[in-house]
Amino acid sequence: MIIVPSNKILLLGWESVSESREKGFFDFEFITWMAWTWQTAVFFIFIALCLFLMVIWEKKVPGGSPRRGILGLDTTRGDRLFISLLSAAFIHLAWLGIVGVILWIATIISFLFSIVVFRYF
Amino acid sequence: MNKTENQKAWLFVIPVFILVAFNAAVPLMTVVNYSFQETFGNNVFTWEGTRWFKQILQSDRFHAALGRQFLFTGIILFIQIPLGIFIALTMPKKGIGVSVCLVLMSMPLLIPWNVVGAMWNIFALPEIGFLGHTLNDLGFDYNFTQQIGDAWFTTVLMDVWHWTSLVVLLSYAGLRSIQPAYYQAAEIDGASRWAVFRHIELPKMKKVLTIAILLRFMDSFMIYTEPFVLTGGGPGNATAFLSIDLVKMALGQFDLGPAAAMSLIYFFIVLLVCWVFYNLMMRNEAQS
Repeated sequence: MIIVPSNKILLLGWESVSESREKGFFDFEFITWMAWTWQTAVFFIFIALCLFLMVIWEKKVPGGSPRRGILGLDTTRGDRLFISLLSAAFIHLAWLGIVGVILWIATIISFLFSIVVFRYF
Repeated sequence: MNKTENQKAWLFVIPVFILVAFNAAVPLMTVVNYSFQETFGNNVFTWEGTRWFKQILQSDRFHAALGRQFLFTGIILFIQIPLGIFIALTMPKKGIGVSVCLVLMSMPLLIPWNVVGAMWNIFALPEIGFLGHTLNDLGFDYNFTQQIGDAWFTTVLMDVWHWTSLVVLLSYAGLRSIQPAYYQAAEIDGASRWAVFRHIELPKMKKVLTIAILLRFMDSFMIYTEPFVLTGGGPGNATAFLSIDLVKMALGQFDLGPAAAMSLIYFFIVLLVCWVFYNLMMRNEAQS
């Protein structure tokens, strides 16, 4: 993508008719091309928090508590987090593709499923 | 005994960490951000929520591309794995023939993807190409630029030519690691050639074959350059596999939002398959 300084944007296209854009909280000039929104930021903070909690958990109870779960898979705590997150992605996609409305139900299903994963897998 | 704590190693990991951040984490985060927004360029974005995901998941175009992708991967695995094993079984076990075969086998693997595509394009052209001209002379109505079946035939043939050697080399390595004692025991028992293959060679090749299938699955699932140069996804959309369709959407139509959503769905499928194969490999490790 071509990165154009925002002062030049004002001379181009639709922007020239509007007043200069109000500077939002996330408008750091050098990463505007990353197009951050608070929603996606919250998502990545959640992922980072998960990883951070896993580190703390590992410090408290080292070894990752490996076991053979109900599917016959040898999993550690990290594997179970990975399974939970990946299945959460697929549950959300399936919900969007099949039902398409009230997405938070998929979030609840994912959360319940991740409890099952951490308990039995 | 006291374990000494030394955390200095973390310092040495920092360069890799920065590298991965810039070539993987930052682009991936950007794709996630784009997949929820609409843009017409100039770094101006508008929030669209889950609209693109819904649109992609329910679009016939995506279903068709995904279907073509699985069909292609299925066909090439179905041909390359048995063919690779068969060739590995017929390769000489000692003497000068081993080196000759190994060098010949590695040749296609060393050729860059776009060169393979260009080579096969010229090779298969119906008017001037050796393959195309010969097939037409033999009475076949062959034209890979216009007929869907011919385009698929050429694409599959090209992939088989390019990558079967990888399966051959891996299978050959697996076969060479079998102790002669197994074959001697089979001979004493009067086992047939099929029984030797089924009960000695195949189980011993299981590990390398899992890796071969994983590599061939991933490579063919993410194939871009060769069909792009050979057919450009055509005729129509007949050979527009997922990656070709994705690039058309992202760069051809500049639909960055839907393209980002599609890449994420693509990424999740790849991740799931990788995970399944990883677990299969780990299980093989544990068994042996």
